[in-house]
Parts: sequence; structure tokens; C-alpha cells
Amino acid sequence: MPVTIVVPQLGESVVEGTVGKWLKKVGDPIAKDEPIVEIITDKINIELPAPSAGTLGKITVEEGVVAQVGQELGVILGQGESAPAAAAPRAPAPSSAAPQPPAAAPAPRPSAPSPQQPSAPAPAPARGTAVEEPPSGDGQRMSPAVRKLVKEHQLDVSSIRGSGMGGRVTREDVLNHIEAARLGAAAGAPAPGAQAGRVELGAAPPAERAAPSPKKPIPAPALAAPGAREEQVEPLTNVRKKIAENMSRSRHMAAHCATWDEVDMTALVDLRARLKEKVKETYGVSLTYMPFIVKAVVRALKEFPVLNATMTENEVHYRKYYNIGIAVHRDAGLIVPIVHDADRKTLLQIAAEIEDLGGRARADKLQLNDIQGSTFTITNAGMFGATASTPIINYPEVGVLGVHLIQERPVVREHRIVIRSMMTLVLSFDHRLVDGTPAVQFLHRVKELLEDPESWLLDTI
Amino acid sequence: MTSAGATPIPAYDLGRVPYRDALRFQHEAVLARAEGRCQDALYFVEHEPVLTFGRAGRAENLLLSEPELRRRGVEVVPVERGGDVTYHGPGQVVGYPIVSLRDLPSGCDLHHYLRDLEEALIRVLSSYGLDAVRRPSLTGVWVGDRKVAAIGVAVRRWVAFHGFALNVDPELEHFGWIHPCGIREFGVASMKSLLGAAPPREEILSRLRSAFAEVWRRPVWDATRSPEADSLWKEMLHA
Repeated sequence: MPVTIVVPQLGESVVEGTVGKWLKKVGDPIAKDEPIVEIITDKINIELPAPSAGTLGKITVEEGVVAQVGQELGVILGQGESAPAAAAPRAPAPSSAAPQPPAAAPAPRPSAPSPQQPSAPAPAPARGTAVEEPPSGDGQRMSPAVRKLVKEHQLDVSSIRGSGMGGRVTREDVLNHIEAARLGAAAGAPAPGAQAGRVELGAAPPAERAAPSPKKPIPAPALAAPGAREEQVEPLTNVRKKIAENMSRSRHMAAHCATWDEVDMTALVDLRARLKEKVKETYGVSLTYMPFIVKAVVRALKEFPVLNATMTENEVHYRKYYNIGIAVHRDAGLIVPIVHDADRKTLLQIAAEIEDLGGRARADKLQLNDIQGSTFTITNAGMFGATASTPIINYPEVGVLGVHLIQERPVVREHRIVIRSMMTLVLSFDHRLVDGTPAVQFLHRVKELLEDPESWLLDTI
Repeated sequence: MTSAGATPIPAYDLGRVPYRDALRFQHEAVLARAEGRCQDALYFVEHEPVLTFGRAGRAENLLLSEPELRRRGVEVVPVERGGDVTYHGPGQVVGYPIVSLRDLPSGCDLHHYLRDLEEALIRVLSSYGLDAVRRPSLTGVWVGDRKVAAIGVAVRRWVAFHGFALNVDPELEHFGWIHPCGIREFGVASMKSLLGAAPPREEILSRLRSAFAEVWRRPVWDATRSPEADSLWKEMLHA
């Protein structure tokens, strides 16, 4: 008797495991209790012992695939046995020795998925592509005339949807199919009548049933034909899993609320334009807007300490240090490196540090310390062109500032429309701890500082 | 089987052992245990800096390049335990319980076994006043957002091996070589970083023995100076 290897009960809370590694290949001899396959669940890797001796006849679940408790992983064969077909989910392999169970009687076409036997065809209108009809040569029921037509045009009958009784392919069906193919939408046109159960609403004229439309058909480029519905399946990376977990935890835990404001960045744009060449030349550092924003944020955080706080069940922790996380995009996924003690660093130090952190983040060379312990986060969606967005709080922080694209916009100043460099600032805050008033005031303070940088930059340099 | 519930478990402190030697020793001990040639045992060791990749290990979680690792003399060893990449080094208490799962209260419930390892470690850390907790779906023992003990287990013929690494006073900077266990957002802490000073290793081992005795409901005794320990040593060094 062939013996199946199944995922055993591995614990009350264990419902599935990932097949880690097959320690045996198909055809390998196996001693009873010898480890044959690894199952990984949580932080445990268990080697399953062979339930019996024999040879490994089949591997049902490949490495890296998740299997449920009780699921068949493979089959061990005794002497002289061959792989059983009964458990095979796919086409039955014709087996010489083992008697075939009745259910394995060959279907007319291997693609016919129906496990039911087609001996008693239901008169239900065919909806899918496969037509469950008793085989008659090519497996399709149609009149000799239609069959001739099909043959003349060298068509694949299985791709024609039958609209006739019991899914019968009619002359109309074939002609429609030919027309559709001519328009480059082979097999794409829904079979007329397939939607017969639907009631057309309103004034729209009822769709023609079988007769070809007298109107000019909508040109359908080849691309419009439904493709193979191809999906590419990739395992989630650990990074993505962590990001997902953090994002939903934040959404779940924090009472997200957002407020926004328009900032006139003109003065800062001018200031940076004046400084950046010089800074690059002298220090080799690219001066972006971010160091200015970090500085402004830290000043505003000092005035509104609740935005730099975090809360536990019974306590509020007001942090007297200012570690500013700056969200960085990487191909592998978002990461938030941190400028530690931003209040004690000069603008240029911050600029250099941001450049270094960003570079190392993209090269995947960040150290733990670089991503641990931020107290407030800034995210720049403007880097990719966004003019506004509502960021998710970097939980357990209570605020995140979204900065965006700086663009020239018409604004009103002293009753006149003028062109200014504008940016939208968005603050997402945790409304559990932060009331609306301090949130709005904080954001307004950041705006004020950014609009008049010279007023405060002197005492930070 | 019925009397197995009370069979004492010897615990050996083997001190500083090269990782590969300890791994080979574990393989032999598992086999011996599975075949009934020895009893359940708990081994405490300490390793030179080494990075081990569990079955779920991903290269992206290793942050140092190969040449850089060679320069620092750090070996990278693929192992059969579950989990991602882990760092071991001086200042850690690494524990390898090589025990037949059938003879433990958890039976063949693997998650229960993991939770019991965590429980023992939590009890030890709590005895030092630390608020040590589990985090859902992040096996290991945590204080706040930082992991203090890592866990990774393998089971062969229903005998568990590999185990846990408790950070007593390791060089925390070395964890920057990796994303420990593939987790980037949370940090690593040691008893020293949390308590200000590292408790003596002897004391920690003693509390670990008591904690495992409670959790497994079997006496766990210090067999370090027993005659068997000598032969174990020889086996490990000359196998």
C-alpha cells in the first residue's frame, strides 16, 4: 500500500507550515522514521519522520509552499508499487498496475475541470468556455452544417461559445466568432445570449441577440481581448511584512486625523538658491529643503511638546530630545532613518547627515541605531511629485508631517494675484493624545517659520 | 513513559565553544536522544561572533559584505533551525535544550514548546525586575520594543534542538551587522543595557535552571561538574 506523508498535528495553534526542504528525492529509498521533509512553522523547523519504509514515490507539495495540517505532502511506495493516481490533483497518469478508481475515467479534454461525470448532461446554458457535452468526435454538439463551417474556417471549436440549447454551437455562433476574430478579438466577444438573464435598464436599446449588428462595431484592438488572466505570484518579503504590520498597527491604534496648510516657500527657495552652490563647493553637501524643514519642525515641537510625545495606557511621555525620522523610499520598501538630537545640530550637519542616511538607506547599509528611537517623522511625498497626501503616523509617535512639491502658484497678496512658490504641508496626528488646537497651532508655527527663515536661522547656526 | 514526567534534566555549562563544534555536537546528541542512548539535557554555551542563517534566512538581512565578514573573522553558518539570521557572540547565554518533546508537558505541540522557552526566559528576566514580554507573532522575549532573547528551534524525530540566545552583555553593535531575525523596526537590548550592569553568568544559569524546572515540571540540576560533563567535553572537542 502506498503511504501518504501528511502534515501532522503540530500544535493547537498550528494550522499550516511551509515546506522547508525535501531531504529525499523521488526514487530515494526510505527507512521508517528517517527524516524526509522539513516543515517550518513560526521559529520551529521540524523534520518529519517517514511513516513507513519504501521509496519516495511522489512529492505533492514543493519546497517553499505552504501546506495545511492534514494535507498530503508526498507518497511513500512499498516494493513494486507505482505512484497512485487517485490523490493526484491533475490529469491522471495512466497506470499499468494499480486499478483506476472510477472517478479517474478520462475526461474528453484534459482542460475540462468538472469532477462530475458528464453522463447526464444538465440542460443548463453553458457559461464557461468548457462545454460539458458527451463526446462526439471533437466533443462538441453541433449540426453537420455548422461542423462543415467550422472545418472550412479551420476553427478551434472549443474556443466558440455555444448559445444554442445545452450549449450547442450554432451557425450564428460560428459566424460571430469569425467576425470577432477578424476584429482581432478572438474569443473575446461575449457570446450573444450568454447574458440573457440580464434585464436591460432604461432607454438603452435591447442588445441584439444573435443577429450581427448593423452598426459599425466598436474597433477592438488586439489588446482588448482578455488575456490569460496571468498573475505573477511572489512571496512577501520580510521587509514588506514588517511594513504591512506597522502600517496596520498604526492605523488600528492611533486615531488618525489630518490638518493641512499652504506654505509660501518663496523666501526659502531664494535663500537656498543663494546658498546651495556655496555649500556644495565648500562642504560637498547638497543643500535640500529638508534640513530647513527639520529645523523648523524641531523649533515648533519645542513650543508644542505634545507632538513630540508618545503615550502608553496610563502615561504620556514628553520627550525632551528630538530625533527626527525621515521617510526614505527604497525599492525594497519604505524605511525611516533618523537624525538623532536634531536640536543640537547645525543646519549643515543635518544636511550632511540626511544625505548620508539617504544614501545608506538606498544601499541597504543602515545600522540598527540609524532606525531606532525617532520621536517625530517627516515624509516627503513631494519628491515624487505629490502636491498633497495624508501620511500614516509612525506609531507610537503621535505626529507625522507630510511635505510636498514646491510649485509656483497664483496667490492673492494685498488684493493682487501674484506668483509665489507654494507647498502644501499636512500633519497627521494621533487625536487620542493631540487635540485639534495644538495640532493646528503646531502646523501653523511650522508654516510661519518656513515662510520667514531668516528670522530664526541666525540663532541656529 | 509514565515516569518520564519526573525524570530530572541535567544542565551543563560548556562555556565558550566554537559554533561549528557545538552544531556537530548537537546533531550527535539529537541522534543519541532519538535512539534512546541518552536522556534529555540542557546545554549552556557561549560562542565567538558568528552569524547563523535559519531556514527562513534571507541574504538581504545580512548587512556586511562577505569580505568585510572575513576581515572581522565572523563565520556565516547555515543551520536547520527555524527563523532568519541570528547573531551569536560573547556575552550571550546560549541554551540548547536537547529534549524529547513527547516527555515534556507541551507534548508534540511545537508552538507550546516555543511559548515554554519564552516563559522560562521571561521568568528569569522578571526576577531581575525587567518587564519582559512576548510579542504576538514575533517569537522571542522582548522588553519594550527591544528583543532580549532570540529563539529558534529545530525538531528531528521529535527531539528538539537549537534553542535560545539570551543577551546578557553582548556587543550590541554587532547586531548592526544584520537585521536580527529579519526584523528591522525593532531593536535589540541586553540585560546590561537594561539594568545598567550585567548579572553574573552563574547566577543567570541558576535562575534559568529553576525557571525551566518550573515550566517543564521536572527537576533541572547543574551537571557541569559531574563526570558526564568531562566525557561530553571530550566528545565535543574530538568528535
